[in-house]
Amino acid sequence: MPDHTTPLLRPPRHRVDPRARRWWTVQALLTVSGPMLLTALVLAVLSVLFFPGALPWLGPLLLVALVLPALGYLVVMPRWRYAVHAWELGERAVYAAGGWFWQKRRIAPLSRVQTVDTVRGPVQRRYGLATVTVTTASTAGDIKIAGLSDARAEELSRRIGEVAQTVPGDAA
Amino acid sequence: MNGPDPFPWRRLDPRTLLVHCGWMAAPLGSLALTALATGGRITTEAWITLIALGASFAAVTLAGLVRWARTDFRVTADSFEVRSGLLTRRLRSVPLHRIRTVDLTATPLHRVLGVTVLRAGTAGSGERGGELSLEALRVAEADRLRAELLARAGAGAGTEDPVLARISWRWLRYAPLTFWVVGGVFVAAGSAYRALDGIGIEPWKIGFVQRAFLEFGDSMLWLTIPAALLAVLALGSVGAIILYVENWWQYCLEWTDTQTLRVRRGLFTTRSVTIERARLRGVLLREPLLLRAGGGALVRAVAGGLGNREENRRRSALMPPAPRRDALRVASGVLRTPQSPFAASELTPHPRVALRRRRVRGLLFAVLPGTVVLVVLGAVLRGVLGDSGTRVLLHCAWIYAVVTTLVVLWLARDAYRSLGHGIHGRHLVIRSGTFSRDTLALQRDAIAAWTFTTSPFTRRAGLVTLTAAVSAGEDGYRLPDLAAGTAPALAAAAAPGILEEFLVQPGAVPPGEAPPGRHRADPLRSR
Repeated sequence: MPDHTTPLLRPPRHRVDPRARRWWTVQALLTVSGPMLLTALVLAVLSVLFFPGALPWLGPLLLVALVLPALGYLVVMPRWRYAVHAWELGERAVYAAGGWFWQKRRIAPLSRVQTVDTVRGPVQRRYGLATVTVTTASTAGDIKIAGLSDARAEELSRRIGEVAQTVPGDAA
Repeated sequence: MNGPDPFPWRRLDPRTLLVHCGWMAAPLGSLALTALATGGRITTEAWITLIALGASFAAVTLAGLVRWARTDFRVTADSFEVRSGLLTRRLRSVPLHRIRTVDLTATPLHRVLGVTVLRAGTAGSGERGGELSLEALRVAEADRLRAELLARAGAGAGTEDPVLARISWRWLRYAPLTFWVVGGVFVAAGSAYRALDGIGIEPWKIGFVQRAFLEFGDSMLWLTIPAALLAVLALGSVGAIILYVENWWQYCLEWTDTQTLRVRRGLFTTRSVTIERARLRGVLLREPLLLRAGGGALVRAVAGGLGNREENRRRSALMPPAPRRDALRVASGVLRTPQSPFAASELTPHPRVALRRRRVRGLLFAVLPGTVVLVVLGAVLRGVLGDSGTRVLLHCAWIYAVVTTLVVLWLARDAYRSLGHGIHGRHLVIRSGTFSRDTLALQRDAIAAWTFTTSPFTRRAGLVTLTAAVSAGEDGYRLPDLAAGTAPALAAAAAPGILEEFLVQPGAVPPGEAPPGRHRADPLRSR
């Protein structure tokens, strides 16, 4: 379908830190998979204690509705994310790719950059990771690069700051 | 301070204090109603309400008095300053050249008292920007202050006819073609019920309401139900017309000078919104389904500094529901382009796959769930309803499936035909939507960032959704379901200087360290 004269958007050059996979796994465990598995466990235990007759149909139901999706999310999401997430600082623009099921590639010119924030969450800190957020005047133009190593994040935010100063600004 | 100050501090109007008492009207009114309804007997609950009311009245009046006494403002050579606060004095100062909009708003109470609220909005939308508001000034003084504030925006003599549109009462016929015809009646009924409930009257226990319902149930339903529907429609139409009149009384859209667009409207609450031309990033032509069927449209501004999302929705309206022709004329007058981008009918259509996606989505989310629910109900309730009951439900199921399928297919086709985009002079034109077909003309140099969004489904279909970020209006405007092959070229052509350095010719090997390739980006599919 793409004919041979129209250019394509290539992915950003740099991957995020490999440790990000572990961070995303922990996050999945804390927010989605953990609660689901816990719910399944509680229901199964309650069923064994009080309604042993329900186990033949409740067991498979829990397995299909809770356990398998939770494990699937736990295994698939971090790897898929790691394959997608990438970033690049060009001469005139910042470029980042993110997401997993729904994927997003966003490019914002450095002339529009307003602030560069570096945030380290409690789990991220444990793995020495950071998230760099580049904000523009539009909320639909904010770029978020998650899962960079501390050093890289610091260097990136410093370099964006430097380049943004040399590029003539029109931070409207 | 010695000697005359060239920029003296000025006070708010003392009538502001009366405005602060305005909120008492509603609770006092409902108390009076309660007293009437209960025949002058005031219950303990009402007494408690009355006492609470008295206490809050005292508190609010005192707070208002303090606030009024401690608030003043002035316009210096280069800034607009407002001082306020009792213990912690707060001085907010805004450089005059950063002020983008100055609005005057007056509720009926304000108008009775002859005062108005002045709001000065600055660059940056919503919470990031912040705004100064003065509650409240005498109307003449507010007008003078507004002129003073906007004088620095760079005034010049207008050449063309500055008035773009005035209200034409023939447009009233479009008023009933809005959602509020039906929705408004339910909203009104709901709020009336809550108001009555709040003051201790249960409508269900009033005699004539009960009698009316009983009679309704006993009458011939095949006649009374359509009659009731008609009554709701008639009532809704009347309500919609009243709302239209209240909102758009003395509506006037004009260029007050070459750089400032002003909308004035309103009967009881007068609204006046001023938009600086440099902040105006585009115009949105909106055609909701019903209005479109009647050949009407409405016009909204895409502008920065109009406040947060909710405020932006209210303040961006440039024109009431009106004939499409008039709306187009106003839109091009606002854009001030010799050739209106809306006139261009040759928008590029999107790939056919987008039509399939719309059909599948409709079938999946509208047809399937309803049909399944009806079938399952029929099967489960066989014991309760008997065979005939089940048969009725199954008939309902297939009728529902057929009807909704037809509707969905029609809507999907309409949605697909709405999709289109094009570059027209300084503007990028985007059209999409079926329930509300929106045509947007967006200034190309206002685009601040591009976003490409995909899901596994769109990736398989070779589609991508492009979002243009602007610091105005709703911040992001989507071009749904573009061909993945042409989207980058379109983005580069529409807003040059953003993504060129990340483009490659197909077939060329992208340079760099371990690029996560397009197919590798999706490990599940490579399995």
